[in-house]
Amino acid sequence: MPLVSLQGVSKVYRVGDQEIRALDHIDLTIDEGEFIAIIGPSGSGKSTLMHLLGCLDAPTGGQMVICGNDLSKASPNALAAVRNREIGFVFQAFNLLPKLDVVSNIELPLIYAGVPARERRERAEKVARDVGLGERLNNRPIQLSGGQCQRVAIGRALVNNPRIVFGDEPTGNLDSTTGEMILQTFKDLNAVGKTIVLVTHDPAIAARTRRVIEIRDGRILREYAP
Amino acid sequence: MNLFMALQIGLREIAAHKFRSILSMLGIILGVSSLIATMSLTNGIEKGTRVFMEQLGGLEYIRVVNKDISNQMFEFWNLSPGRTLRDMQILRDRAPGISHISPELNFGAVVAAGGGTSERRNVRGVYPDHFVVNKHVIAAGRFLNDLDVERGTRSVVIGDTVARSLWPDLSPAQILGKILLINNSPFEVVGVLPVYQREDGNRRPRRTPRFGGQQSRWDPFREKNEAVLIPFSTMFFEFRSGSFPLDSVDSVRLDALVLRIGDLTKFRSTIAQARAALDITHRGVDDYDLETREEWFDRTESSIRATRLSGGIISAISLVVGSIGIMNIMLASITERVREIGIRLAVGARGRDIFIQIIIESMTVSFFGGVLGVGAAFGLIEILKAVAPMDYPPMITFGSILFSVGFAVLAGFLSGIYPALRASRLNPISALRYE
Repeated sequence: MPLVSLQGVSKVYRVGDQEIRALDHIDLTIDEGEFIAIIGPSGSGKSTLMHLLGCLDAPTGGQMVICGNDLSKASPNALAAVRNREIGFVFQAFNLLPKLDVVSNIELPLIYAGVPARERRERAEKVARDVGLGERLNNRPIQLSGGQCQRVAIGRALVNNPRIVFGDEPTGNLDSTTGEMILQTFKDLNAVGKTIVLVTHDPAIAARTRRVIEIRDGRILREYAP
Repeated sequence: MNLFMALQIGLREIAAHKFRSILSMLGIILGVSSLIATMSLTNGIEKGTRVFMEQLGGLEYIRVVNKDISNQMFEFWNLSPGRTLRDMQILRDRAPGISHISPELNFGAVVAAGGGTSERRNVRGVYPDHFVVNKHVIAAGRFLNDLDVERGTRSVVIGDTVARSLWPDLSPAQILGKILLINNSPFEVVGVLPVYQREDGNRRPRRTPRFGGQQSRWDPFREKNEAVLIPFSTMFFEFRSGSFPLDSVDSVRLDALVLRIGDLTKFRSTIAQARAALDITHRGVDDYDLETREEWFDRTESSIRATRLSGGIISAISLVVGSIGIMNIMLASITERVREIGIRLAVGARGRDIFIQIIIESMTVSFFGGVLGVGAAFGLIEILKAVAPMDYPPMITFGSILFSVGFAVLAGFLSGIYPALRASRLNPISALRYE
């Protein structure tokens, strides 16, 4: 059984009496352990696709099954639950909470998963060490470099042990050396079995993955293995 | 997400924006402090009034007063002997609900101490029940007793004012045994009463009488403080017998007759008993009436209630104003934190979690506002006491503190609902993109 399966999935926005078809009948299957890049120019619908796959939004048409949950017409609460358990996000702008230290940022998903405080703390600290921030546990994001911030974000994405990790231009705000290190982190994660989906407009990054899905005007233009 | 976490987040928010939090608390602080202040003021008035009414004899105190005879009874006026000691006897026999009966004879006389100072005082001949009915306590010595009345002893009990003007340098205990001359007849002081006054009477500087010697305020305790009390029988035989009309002790017209009801729960039936008994001695002539304090007490109670209610409403309005302030700040705060809310949603927070977080934050702000308001209330009351001295000192009760802080938290809860709803309905995608 595939991890993600989309059949004829559409996302239509209504702006006034105008209809904007952000995604148009997408068919897509993702299996456990894949390493995928979704590429396309801005406005192509790749972000919308990632939002659907990441359970940030529900489709307006078609069937969407993620990790065994049929989310075709899911409520915001049902999406939140899947998002919490099965999915981790790494954003281009890191999206850390500036008032919280590294450990508190990493433990955020566990709070909403209802994990007791002590266990939460232990798991967050362990993940922080795993991503190489063992010396920085009590620093705030403002005291960290870009690469370190992104590693906090990766830690946060991993802490609840999700089955898919999404990266939305994860190297976009980093210099090339740091970006390379982050990319390597994703590859390492994939090597131990995590399913990784990167959204990017950079063909060089897409080339490092094992399956590239190119989106244009809300449709899948082509798929290839680099 | 549990409440404790929400509380932690709330505290962190407050700490991170101290000035803004204080500003939003200000309304609550003022509201709570004025609520507590008004409650303490009315509490003080209420307690003071209760004590005052109690010292004047309480609700049990009933006066038998003379009344103009009604027209249809007019021809029979001379059938009734008026208020006499026979009234006391018949009430003892037929009105068991009356626990104490105090008949009284009055006589204006010159009282003097051995030293020479003398003054005019109203001397009263009383029975021992007088001390119970008027809720007297004793500072030194003893009350008059049954033996004094039976034997017609020359004993006198004096009030504080009399004691101090005749023997200014002596303590009550030292006055005992001194000789008091009443119209030149010697009496031995056997008891001295304490000074009766309203609770804070001694904190207030005693006002000097205004020009014309008039006391500026009616002093309800004057009668008790200026008492010169001698046995009823002594009064009659020494000063009143031989006056016209020729009376026996039993038929002398009393100057006052006061009753005390034993059991207030049987108030109505006891009044009826007393009327039935007195109708016999007065031979059906309605030349007397029973003056109770029910109406006065009811009036006092309802005016206390009205004061409390209006004060409460005004303070509640200021609390509402305060909570509008909180709502405003919370709305500003969530607009500022849209991105944070987006991040929380992205990692799996449900709308409910965000709702709880904002509500708890709002309640925490108002709780701290309430606690600070309690402190401000103490200050406010001191200021009120300084600028407007009151008859009754304000009383801050634990109940009023609890009520006010609870009310503030409730206001915080209510004012948090709308901002919390708005925050919880944010769409995660647009919230994440919000700059």
